[in-house]
Amino acid sequence: MPELAETYACVPSTERGRGILISGDPKSNKVLYTNGRSVIILDLINPLNVSIYGEHAYPATVARFSPNGEWIASADVSGTVRIWGAHNDHVLKKEFKVLSGRIDDLQWSPDGLRIVASGDGKGKSLVRAFMWDSGTNVGEFDGHSRRVLSCAFKPTRPFRIVTCGEDFLVNFYEGPPFKFKQSHRDHANFVNCVRFSPDGSKFITVSSDKKGIIFEGKSGEKIGELSSEDPHKGSIYAVSWSPDGKQVLTVSADKTAKVWDISEDGSGKLKKTLTCSGSGGVDDMLVGCLWQNDHLVTISLGGTISLFSASNLENSPLQLSGHMKNITSLAVLNSDPKCTLSSSYDGLIVKWVRGLGYSGKLQRKENSQIKCFAAAEKEIVTSGFDNKIWRVSFHGDQFGDGDSVDIGSQPKDLSLALLSPELALVTTDSGVVMLCGSKVVSTINLGFAVTASAVAPDGSEAVVGGQDGKLHIFCITGDTLKEEAVLEKHRGAITVIRYSPDFSMFASGDANREAIVWDRVSREVKLKNMLYHTARINCLAWSPNSSMVATGSLDTCVIIYEVDKPASSRITIKGAHLGGVYGLAFTDEDSVVSSGEDACVRVWKLTPQ
Amino acid sequence: MSFTGENVSSGMGLAENSKSTYLELQRMRAFRYVIFKIDEKKKEVVVEKTGDPSESYDDFTASLPEADCRYAVYDFDFVTSENCQKSKIFFIAWSPSVSRIRSKMLYATSKARFRRELEGIHYEIQATDPTEMDLEVIRERAR
Repeated sequence: MPELAETYACVPSTERGRGILISGDPKSNKVLYTNGRSVIILDLINPLNVSIYGEHAYPATVARFSPNGEWIASADVSGTVRIWGAHNDHVLKKEFKVLSGRIDDLQWSPDGLRIVASGDGKGKSLVRAFMWDSGTNVGEFDGHSRRVLSCAFKPTRPFRIVTCGEDFLVNFYEGPPFKFKQSHRDHANFVNCVRFSPDGSKFITVSSDKKGIIFEGKSGEKIGELSSEDPHKGSIYAVSWSPDGKQVLTVSADKTAKVWDISEDGSGKLKKTLTCSGSGGVDDMLVGCLWQNDHLVTISLGGTISLFSASNLENSPLQLSGHMKNITSLAVLNSDPKCTLSSSYDGLIVKWVRGLGYSGKLQRKENSQIKCFAAAEKEIVTSGFDNKIWRVSFHGDQFGDGDSVDIGSQPKDLSLALLSPELALVTTDSGVVMLCGSKVVSTINLGFAVTASAVAPDGSEAVVGGQDGKLHIFCITGDTLKEEAVLEKHRGAITVIRYSPDFSMFASGDANREAIVWDRVSREVKLKNMLYHTARINCLAWSPNSSMVATGSLDTCVIIYEVDKPASSRITIKGAHLGGVYGLAFTDEDSVVSSGEDACVRVWKLTPQ
Repeated sequence: MSFTGENVSSGMGLAENSKSTYLELQRMRAFRYVIFKIDEKKKEVVVEKTGDPSESYDDFTASLPEADCRYAVYDFDFVTSENCQKSKIFFIAWSPSVSRIRSKMLYATSKARFRRELEGIHYEIQATDPTEMDLEVIRERAR
């Protein structure tokens, strides 16, 4: 059974125009955030140490550690809260259906006995507070008429709860059992976040009207505001107190984060403005923040996590990033097997280095979406949802200039002849297009619906697979294709075809869960009965010495077969990626890299049997 | 004629040989496996192949044709969690999805009649491709 060697985590999923709420555990220095249906627990000191919880049935929105650090409560868009163990296996303790709509914020009481959840719903159920183990209600929360974006629990006795939302109101409740005490309408736009200071003496609310207001913690009276000299120039999305309660960190859509000193009487003065370097586009808007021990964490709309040091605000931050969406393909460069390139359909290409993790984002001049992706020694060929193929040269971390060529119809699959990467074969709906460099050499209409293709490393041969499951083998001479053979064994549309690195075999996978390894010269079946998946096969990879084949499928499993042994002696990795495995590559003889719908990349080590 | 109160039966007879070969496997452990075939001309179930007790599960799967149906009986030896040596007899209806429809229909309708003749079967498995009669599957059922 292969063991997980490394996980390159995804970043929090973000939405334009809204902030996200991240939380952490000061004792173990971990942060919690969500992406899709997963809750990610990331270690700030060592970003490779990440744990992912994928048990929600709906996209998860927020997660929080309990005050004693033992449990995590996480909520999702269906209004369900799940409470599970923070360590090891993440065993589920309880699950409650709390609200009738999505939950936007969740807080534990300081004694860990009560939880308050706020969000969207119909009528009365916009906020609910309940006991963590029995689910019984601990109060009546009326006063809001629209989505409640954030809630906070006073960390010291006497207990108070504050909620704020899209109706511009900040409501104050006393209890338990919690009852409405008073309401403030000081903001002129959505109130995005409310947080109590760690000693409970004050709480601050921030809003899309670019202001932050400070209130007294026990009575709920307004005591001050964040100063209006050099304020934020955009909506403030999130706020976080320092552990000593004397400073706050705010992040805003104006792409800056500000640290304010909060004095005893409740007025805030700007201490420092922090900016992150970025490409300057919309992706740099900051949407989430957290102040944990010495770290200031800010999250941008593009998913970049920046770590500042609180004691040394002048230092430039450590930046971590990753994918936010389904990673559709992976490539390992021959020249540097420690380095993997992953691309997701939103056009992001990220470079990962074994042992280090995130190594950089590759900035392209044209940021279009990517459907197919192939990498050779010095260049990357991509195609998107328009009719163009882009060839971009690539040195180290930088992209050079790219050329594009229009091929007349949408490309469905793309492959490069590895030994002569000038030659690329692109399949379109009904035929193939051969490219040499950036010029179209020929466009050939094949007459059948083409679904996948591969071109041999030396460019002399190509295999094209069709919707009906037949594999057509063509011999490439100059700019024409001559059909040599048709192989019929698959019972579903062919999804992927790959040649082995030593060119003696090729393997094909289909939508009917079957994969077959063929001998290239004799065109006979070499290994069959590779039927162990339970859903369509999405990707296929050969090991560098051509002795093993790995297949990844929509059923979230990766199965590795040895070509010399019967298919039944296989190694299975179950549950490799929540949602399906979409990219696979071998980095060396016993490591497989896989990527999938959960936007993570995982490296597995195969222990020899 | 064989109207036995079940829906469909194709009226296949049973060759004497089949029943006695099965009994030899069951009582005397003379074989590891027996593979039965339906001989359409003689309209009966005959023994196609038997396997020595020394043969393995892989030899057995190799003897089954890829694109035609068969019935098979396999004697599976294993050690339980309490460390007892046990042996269970499996009846496998091998009906691969790549075989002809006629073949599948024939074997499906004759199965009930044939099964009744074989007493002492512990578990039955229907396999439509090699993954469904994998050694792992057999092992799971036996436990």
